[in-house]
Amino acid sequence: MVSAAPPAATQSALQCPKCAGQSVFDPNTGGLTCGSCGHVRDLAHPDDARAQIEHGYDPSKPEDEPASRPDTLEHHCATCGGHVIFTGQQLSEQCPYCDGAVVLVQPLRGYDTMALIPFVVDAPAAQVYAQAWATSRIAAPSDLAAQVEPARVAGLYAPFWTFDSREAVQYWAKYNTGSGDNKRTHSISGDMTVNFDDLLVPASPHVTPLIRDGILHEFQPDKLRSYRAGYLAGFAAERHHMTVAEGLEANRDDKRLLIRNRIKRHINRSRVHSITFRTDTTGIHYRRILLPVWILHYTYAGKPYKIVVSGINGRTFGERPFSKWKLAGYSALISAAVIGFGLFWGAAGWL
Amino acid sequence: MLLTFTGPLLAALALLAASTAIGMIQVAKIIQIREAKHELKQGSAGFLRSISGWSVIFIWFGSVWFVATIIGDWGATGDLEGAIDRGWIRLQILLEILAALAESD
Repeated sequence: MVSAAPPAATQSALQCPKCAGQSVFDPNTGGLTCGSCGHVRDLAHPDDARAQIEHGYDPSKPEDEPASRPDTLEHHCATCGGHVIFTGQQLSEQCPYCDGAVVLVQPLRGYDTMALIPFVVDAPAAQVYAQAWATSRIAAPSDLAAQVEPARVAGLYAPFWTFDSREAVQYWAKYNTGSGDNKRTHSISGDMTVNFDDLLVPASPHVTPLIRDGILHEFQPDKLRSYRAGYLAGFAAERHHMTVAEGLEANRDDKRLLIRNRIKRHINRSRVHSITFRTDTTGIHYRRILLPVWILHYTYAGKPYKIVVSGINGRTFGERPFSKWKLAGYSALISAAVIGFGLFWGAAGWL
Repeated sequence: MLLTFTGPLLAALALLAASTAIGMIQVAKIIQIREAKHELKQGSAGFLRSISGWSVIFIWFGSVWFVATIIGDWGATGDLEGAIDRGWIRLQILLEILAALAESD
């Protein structure tokens, strides 16, 4: 029998030992902090040293990681399809991914999180980062800051993978030299090895690779902590629902793009095109982790946008509208400069 | 004299209007590339996707510049047909440059 409330063990773990009040994880203290008396409990654990451990994966063997259902109900968003859980009290009736309404549903089968990085940036700081990001946009509508201002950030532990792999790449490509009648196309081929170390991959369709690359520039495994429900208290979280094979498949396009870019650098010539390659992947290791993000939703001209702030260091990236008038203004200025240069060139009779 | 300049002047204004309208998308692309260079992780998949397609900006610059050179030539000589003929050689060079840029994109 599942219920909307967290399991009794989790509930008692969140209860303050001094006053029996409810505790939440406070990014400022780095511990479980009682909302009534302010008592702080350290969540450090001897197992934290093991949080960095990576797990091997062999694609030729069946996966033996057991899927399970949590013993609490999940909150399902009818708008974006997101599934999140609230540890402790339910914080919001809205989905942290899209701001749609959430309803309680039976939990999906998922996988246990191996480790997480706790929130370091608190909500007021994240709000400031998000506002600052929105107001520093070039060619943004003048009233954008006013539209973003009333929106509030929502804290979420988003599921990610880290993947290691060794790619033995064999490639074929072409490059051009010369121009006009002297234009020549050359073929080139070669071998190279690409090592991916802690490649971060969103394990949720609601976190796009663009958002990941905007807020997660560096990944420090030493900041990982072993999973404990206390870290989630006061935040929403999404569980892992993908198998390792599905995670690798979700990362396929990104990995191919990165390998293609490495091949271009390996060839070290300009005008390279028609790249094809074959890769033999070995040494796959992975972690199922949760990373802290603050998401701010706002609407402009009826269209929804979101700004995401890293809960680790406050790095911010998001979606933004453009002002058509400002774009036209910049375009007119650039056009006038190019046209002026062209008129002068033509009037001078240069070739 | 006034009539001689009216044609090139109107053509230049029409080019400015057309370039402004077409260029709005390219300006948005320039801003996205600038944001990518400053805010996205260098060399990441999101960064590579965001900066791809930059050659379209140079195609815009090149096209507008090319038409403007013909208008400038026309304004200076008063000979539109001659200006267009002289523009063909310029066009060939421009297309070579743009093709090379597109290959590097």
